[in-house]
Amino acid sequence: MTTLNKTHIIASLVLLITFFLPWVVWKDASLSGNDMPVGQFFAAAREKFGVDNPFPQFSIVFKIFWLIPAAAVVVIAFVLLTKNTFWLAAAAGLLSLSLVLVYFLFSNNLVNQLGVSKSVWSMVKPWLFIQALAAVTIVLSAGEEKWLLKSGLILVTASATFFGFNMISKQVEKKIMEETYESTDNVKTDFTLGANDLLKEFMANDSAANKKYREKVLVVKGAAGDVEIKTDSTVIIKFSDSTGSYIVFSLDKDQFEKAKNIKAGDAVSLKGSCSGSVYSEILSTTSISFKRVIINNK
Amino acid sequence: MKKTILFIALTIIAGSIFAQKKTTTSATVSFDATTPKDAQPKAENKTVIGSLDTKTGAVAFEAAVKNFSFANPKMQEHFNSSNWMQSDSFPRFTFTGKIEKINKIKFNKDGTYSAKVTGDLKVKNISKKTIIPGQITVLNGKITVVANFTIKLSDYNITGQPIDGGKVSKEPNITMKAEF
Repeated sequence: MTTLNKTHIIASLVLLITFFLPWVVWKDASLSGNDMPVGQFFAAAREKFGVDNPFPQFSIVFKIFWLIPAAAVVVIAFVLLTKNTFWLAAAAGLLSLSLVLVYFLFSNNLVNQLGVSKSVWSMVKPWLFIQALAAVTIVLSAGEEKWLLKSGLILVTASATFFGFNMISKQVEKKIMEETYESTDNVKTDFTLGANDLLKEFMANDSAANKKYREKVLVVKGAAGDVEIKTDSTVIIKFSDSTGSYIVFSLDKDQFEKAKNIKAGDAVSLKGSCSGSVYSEILSTTSISFKRVIINNK
Repeated sequence: MKKTILFIALTIIAGSIFAQKKTTTSATVSFDATTPKDAQPKAENKTVIGSLDTKTGAVAFEAAVKNFSFANPKMQEHFNSSNWMQSDSFPRFTFTGKIEKINKIKFNKDGTYSAKVTGDLKVKNISKKTIIPGQITVLNGKITVVANFTIKLSDYNITGQPIDGGKVSKEPNITMKAEF
């Protein structure tokens, strides 16, 4: 067996094995190349950093990366059978190279855009670079000719991935940054309940209630307690219990016309995003606050 | 028995009439960390709890971190996340301080006064001595306190590439308004 063939087999083996070893570590989630086709890559991005897969409709396409270990196995078999491995090795190597770059650039974006870590280097693991090295080697060691084609494919793939990634990520970032909360009116209501019941639930077990209601959209009904109209035309409506604990709604300014005539004791129905409860040391009571609040007409 | 109840009731009534400590549950605190590169990092909380003792000049404020309302959903999510404010572990921003030369402010007379408040601002369990210049207006018995100041994020160990890269201001501007 020639040295080139031996190199080819070693590169395939390394590519195969390191595909399943950790490439990047995001907080406590360690991700291998296999986590992209499995779907774990974007699941971890969502769970750890609140970053969604920008193209969930393409999730199925990511299965193509399973071609990397599969092709690596076949390449080894082909070398042993003295068959031509060129296109198979090129496919495995170039796919792997793109995937490695995506892992690196994606982690780098998490650092630059979200500040999830001091630097990208603390998130990447050596296996990422060993995979990249194996990827380049498996392509270059495929056959004794076509050196220009082989080097060209590597360069084109790397630059296409780099520019493609940056282009897409810029667009995605722009889209995310331009997004604003939908009017509370149009948002689905998660829970509807009475102000007294909500207060009781928080007072009985605040950690369970916070878990259940935080960042959820609630419709809360009851007899308004204090109603305060601020000089900037914000209307604040409060419901209190006998201990002084209270729920407070700061209505959006565009609700002023609808809200200005509400008086203490009036039956109201308010819809907003629950921010959960905090204990106030100043008042020695619990306060539950809501944001993006509107008068509920439905 | 009746006398005791009457005495307690009178004490409560008298206490509330002569109370020097005024409170509010609807003070507004907003911050602006926008930069030329990013116009999104700003938010407002309109249900801040505050107290003001007109006799001693003691002031205190508590803001629920999770009730800061952003226009952009992702920005709000990240603000609360473990990389930034860790609002699950540190649910409140607090300030406790004292208005200097409180006896120069006549709370029973209409007027506008400049005031300097010295105190501790606590963010993520880090307390930092802060001097806040403010203005106190007394009108028809209503006391309005407004203040405008900046804080250094690095004082509270808030660092990261978005700040270094100019997407989030190193020294956000904080505005506060409370009506007592």
